[in-house]
Amino acid sequence: MRSLERIWVLAFNTYREAVRDKLLYNLLLFAALMIASSVLLAQIQIGKDDRIYRDVGLSSIAFFGVLIAIFVGINLVHRELSTKTIYTMLAKPLKRWEFLLGKYFGLLSLLAVEVAIMSACFLGVLVWTGADFELGLVWAIVGIYCELALVTAIAMFFSSFTSPYLSAMFTVALWIVGHLLADLRAFGSKSDLAGLRELLEALYWTLPNLDRLDFKADASAGNPIELARVGVAALYAWLYSFLLMAGAVALFQRRDFR
Amino acid sequence: MIRTSGLRKTYRTGFWMRAVEAVKGVDLEVKPGEIFGFIGPNGAGKTTTIKILTGLMLPTAGEAWVHGLPVGDPQSRARLGFLPEGTFFHDYLTGREFLDFHGALLGIPKALRRARIPELLVRVGLAGAEDRQIRRYSKGMRQRAGLAQTLIGDPDLVILDEPMSGLDPLGRKDVRDLILALRDEGKTVFFSSHILEDAEVICDQVAIILNGRISKQGYLDELLSQERVGAELVAESISEELYHELEHTAQRAIVQGTRFLFEFGDEAGAEKALDRVRACGGRVRSFVPRRRSLEDLLLEGIRQESKP
Repeated sequence: MRSLERIWVLAFNTYREAVRDKLLYNLLLFAALMIASSVLLAQIQIGKDDRIYRDVGLSSIAFFGVLIAIFVGINLVHRELSTKTIYTMLAKPLKRWEFLLGKYFGLLSLLAVEVAIMSACFLGVLVWTGADFELGLVWAIVGIYCELALVTAIAMFFSSFTSPYLSAMFTVALWIVGHLLADLRAFGSKSDLAGLRELLEALYWTLPNLDRLDFKADASAGNPIELARVGVAALYAWLYSFLLMAGAVALFQRRDFR
Repeated sequence: MIRTSGLRKTYRTGFWMRAVEAVKGVDLEVKPGEIFGFIGPNGAGKTTTIKILTGLMLPTAGEAWVHGLPVGDPQSRARLGFLPEGTFFHDYLTGREFLDFHGALLGIPKALRRARIPELLVRVGLAGAEDRQIRRYSKGMRQRAGLAQTLIGDPDLVILDEPMSGLDPLGRKDVRDLILALRDEGKTVFFSSHILEDAEVICDQVAIILNGRISKQGYLDELLSQERVGAELVAESISEELYHELEHTAQRAIVQGTRFLFEFGDEAGAEKALDRVRACGGRVRSFVPRRRSLEDLLLEGIRQESKP
């Protein structure tokens, strides 16, 4: 049997497990409420209604997407280990990298559906309020999805060798740092402390730079977003995700299941 | 079918990463078409050995082959069915979805899965419960679902880790019957157990593992030979003097109303007591010679292990 078929079987099962989890629906409900609340927020703000709908809508999609990627993602991987369901799977002619990729693609499918549902709510708000819809919003959502794919790969990387709590902590920390890298680099360039500048410069080039994938501000302000910029950002996200998954496979390959 | 040579496993555990040597040079050989019992007390190294055979753990030293392939090769598990200890399954799936998922992972075509799943459900006694989520199954039903999962790929080799553990007597009998039926179909069954009676009833060959080492291995009829290792005598109408005389030579003496039960650790002593009861006019209610059992073998092994 081909590896692709086994990965598909695992991805489908991962997706099925996630959609039968109540946590997911709670997060989705909150996301929908948050997006809808932009209508109320616009009532207490004078002018720039369109900007509020876009800001709140895109931020909600990004924030709840990351919550789902980190907590549902880590939970889905660790549940296989803690409930020992992985035993019956790996005792089949299944390679460990196929298991990890199956989980990863299952989570990516789940996130695609989640982002689509949240985007539909967002679009509903725009249509209902008569706000303008621009192509930049689509690119912003593509950027969010690329960020989620990268965050999921980070979560999978940590899940391959550490506990769920540490995985969640490390992933959240990297997500926060990933959005502050440009600021940290700027801070380092002004610092007189020996080595700090080099350290922050090295971190800027090695840690995942999530700001590269963030087009929300431009989309919200109605600024044009070039397709090339989106393409480069997407390539960056997928290459980084590939490297993280390769690292996860290398660590997972030597793991004992006690 | 299964072969191991000098298999060792050491892992580190706890905050201080203390080294624990769980398997200390295990040599096994399981031939096709036989039921092989892997016997030992809890913590002896049974599950660790099985996890190495099924690719869940990497050996620290030594080698292991399944179907003639090293256990590191996923193809060694292509014709293998495995039931881990405990009932750890995707409980959000229904029984049918669960079997379909495992069949699909093995690459069984959809049409064949559709045909095989109802047959398996009937075979393990889960017909009628296939559309219920596994989380709503009782422990016995989960074990049956696990067994069906083991058989979905029609494997040549079935490895069962403590398959009777936690089951009621009826469930244990069903598992025993299934293992015997699999052997009749030409499959090889390797199972671990600490329930000696079950192993003694169904195994062709056994290996006793104690403290990570194989203490004894061989065919049951050779290991348990016909040699008598004692007898149990139940007598009536014997005098108090004779009772005290026999009590001194017996391993154990129990008075049950008008009956006297004596257990002897050697056959000669038991027959001498039998003659004494008859000579003194006592009535013999029963005299049952005792043959060596797996329990005796296990206890002998434990005694040898504990010798300095």
